[in-house]
Amino acid sequence: MSLFATDHKAVARRYLWSGLGFLLFGGLLALLIRWQWAFPGQPVPGLAWALPESRGALTPPTYTAVFTMHGLVMIFFAVTPLLFGALGHFVLPLAIGARGLAFPRLSSVGYWVYALGGVLVLASFGLRLGPASAGWTAYPPLSTSVFTPGLGQTLVTVAVLCAGVSAFLYGLNFVVTVVRCRAPGMTWGRLPLTVWGLFYASVLNVLFVPVLAAATVMVLMDRLLGTQFFVAGAAAVGGGGDPLVYQHLFWLFGHPEVYILILPAWGMVGDFVAFFSRKPAHGYRLTAGAMGAVSALSGLVYAHHLFTSGMSPVLGRTFMVLTLLISLPAEVMFLNWLMTLWRGSVRLTSPMLAALTTMVVFGLGGITGLALGAVATDVPLHGTLWVVGHFHLTMGAASFLGVFAGLYFWFPKMFGRALHEGLAKAHVLVSAVLFLGVFGGQLAAGYAGQLRRLYDPYQYTFLRHLLPLNQWTTACAFLLGAVQVLFVVNLVWTLRRGRAAGPNPWSVGTLEWTCAPSPPPEDNFPHVPVVLRGPHALSQPESLERLGRDWLGQAEALPGEPASASASEPPALGVVT
Amino acid sequence: MSDSSPRPVVEAPAGSPRGDASRAWTLSLPEDASTHGHRIDALLGWSHRFEAGLALVALGWLAVAVWRFRGARRAASDGGTRRSRAWVLGLALSVFLVVDGTLLVGSEGYLRDVLWNLEVPAKDPRTVRIEINAHQWSWEARYAGADGRFGTADDVVTWNDLRVPAGVPVWVQVVSTDVVHGFSLPHFRVKLDAIPGRVNQTWFQAAREGDWEVACYQHCGTSHYRMRGVLRAVSPESYATWLQEAGRQAERVYDADDTAANWGWEWKAP
Repeated sequence: MSLFATDHKAVARRYLWSGLGFLLFGGLLALLIRWQWAFPGQPVPGLAWALPESRGALTPPTYTAVFTMHGLVMIFFAVTPLLFGALGHFVLPLAIGARGLAFPRLSSVGYWVYALGGVLVLASFGLRLGPASAGWTAYPPLSTSVFTPGLGQTLVTVAVLCAGVSAFLYGLNFVVTVVRCRAPGMTWGRLPLTVWGLFYASVLNVLFVPVLAAATVMVLMDRLLGTQFFVAGAAAVGGGGDPLVYQHLFWLFGHPEVYILILPAWGMVGDFVAFFSRKPAHGYRLTAGAMGAVSALSGLVYAHHLFTSGMSPVLGRTFMVLTLLISLPAEVMFLNWLMTLWRGSVRLTSPMLAALTTMVVFGLGGITGLALGAVATDVPLHGTLWVVGHFHLTMGAASFLGVFAGLYFWFPKMFGRALHEGLAKAHVLVSAVLFLGVFGGQLAAGYAGQLRRLYDPYQYTFLRHLLPLNQWTTACAFLLGAVQVLFVVNLVWTLRRGRAAGPNPWSVGTLEWTCAPSPPPEDNFPHVPVVLRGPHALSQPESLERLGRDWLGQAEALPGEPASASASEPPALGVVT
Repeated sequence: MSDSSPRPVVEAPAGSPRGDASRAWTLSLPEDASTHGHRIDALLGWSHRFEAGLALVALGWLAVAVWRFRGARRAASDGGTRRSRAWVLGLALSVFLVVDGTLLVGSEGYLRDVLWNLEVPAKDPRTVRIEINAHQWSWEARYAGADGRFGTADDVVTWNDLRVPAGVPVWVQVVSTDVVHGFSLPHFRVKLDAIPGRVNQTWFQAAREGDWEVACYQHCGTSHYRMRGVLRAVSPESYATWLQEAGRQAERVYDADDTAANWGWEWKAP
């Protein structure tokens, strides 16, 4: 397999290995942060080789670099690449009956731009002043060369730009593919919810990643070319720039980004609860519509990140109302998932367990965000670990479990081999419980006032009593890290000697399972399927009676049903219905 | 200059950090020492009741559904009826109206009466005005002194040492001269960004005398974690005595040529 292959499945595999590698790396950085909060300033076992001067203990500059890089690596190099790069690239064309992405070479280029960014990130750790350290948000003036000198911050800023370019490219690619390349009969109302999630998120990528790119380029110009977009305004420096403009630009991207990180997982949850309840999704149109409503609102709520920035009361009130509004479609979607389970025949497979635990952590994450949406209750919680726990539950734990739901579900299709179900289930369940331990502990510490990004929180007397709580949370985090061995063992063992998977091990009807072998050949389908029905044709009386099974392929004609019903119509390629 | 060596904060026990361990598990906010913070706390209390209720219903429903329908012999063949979908919409809308409505109305009341109502400190003749200059990594505070005007010889400047009278509105204006900082008084439910190039303002009122901490909540560089100050709420009488004495000393050491030390600005109208 060439490293420059343009087949969407090959690109997906490249993203998968890189994404998992960065997930491991970002996770290890997270453990360093947790270590510091449990045992401030004490040497980290086994880290003396990297930090010889402090014998392995984190120093304040190292610590700032560690939490900065944890956030950047996880968001730009682990979770988005896994959700879009790996799962999205693999499943999107297959699920809509396309032979590939609309722009295959562009998707390969996108990967290599991302890989370049990844190399820059890793290289920055070898520099004398270390990698970036101005926080993942990189607020200027701190992120300018005046206050964070060194090549590291510059390289990492370029790396983020690379990740942005790749995200924009696959976003564009996915949008065009879904709009133009659907198989005949694959109307919008027959798309799997996963495709809806990927589609909306891709639209958000196309709209908002350029905003990040603009802000990032301006910071780079401030760092390298002597412009003062964000430097000035500072009395010490003089001039007419404004650091606050960056904050607005950043969060105009940053808030849609959290939905970009969760929409594909929402889509998968919607599909998987239907598949493994053996019944059609409850309120398919409502769910797809709710996801669309969230996407539409996602760019209109961002300034709740700036409630304490001294913005005008008019803006504050507007963003408070808009922010609270977004909980309505989210509730509709969540209730639909619950209603899908009801009166179904629930099968607790590993993807289903992962989907259900995604619902749990996402539900709790969403609920704990309510207080952050209203200005008055946001004030005591702003900038505390409450916020950290809240967004880690949603875009950390929920996205992580969503990734594994997708991976456990599509792995047989990707590699033609079946993972060990027991190991997969244990991995998902124990991870979910420990996620609740880690981020629950952070919520509690944040509520008690612990502020983010403190090298030594116990400098503050009002936080001293939180040490035991933080140690308990850290124990959960280290266990969570250790439990990932279950996945690694399962992965390595399965790739070497796992049993061959059938074409449709989960007995579901979507195109990738019913029209293509495992793994699918280069052009996916022996012949392009003609789609006859929606993605959740489960437990239908006709198929039970006539075929003796509870699932029906999306392109499968029942005996006596005219297979060419849709094919006789003009080809539905690109037809928006 | 006043004395700037912060005394140990008396509020927390100086002994072992573990001494107060039991409080860590009770999910409690920092003690409220302000006159108005109880309104936020009460609203947060409501928000917790909603959180608990929602979590119980959502996760309970999930658990019951999985337990009851696990491996059921038959599954329904429909994606819901018109009625069940209407129920979903209705339920979502009711939860939204009750929960988000409470938060919105409660929040709005606090914003209108306290947080965004600078009329209160502006109209109260007793109001104490403080200019705060945040920089890596300390809080420099400026008091107008006896003449009531900032940027004059009798301005009192302190480092990491805020003093306020209890029971009187305190009006602060915050700037930064290097990077973005976050001025927070966790025990007074106060948070406000200090941003280079702009003057932000907020106000609060100490309910009683005591010593509390000032904390930075925006990542501002390597020693962000050490950007700690102390806020002392004292009786109005001892505050007046302190200010008078400190103002006299300030006047004695005033140096008009030291531009870096004379960073005060004309008080900004709301």
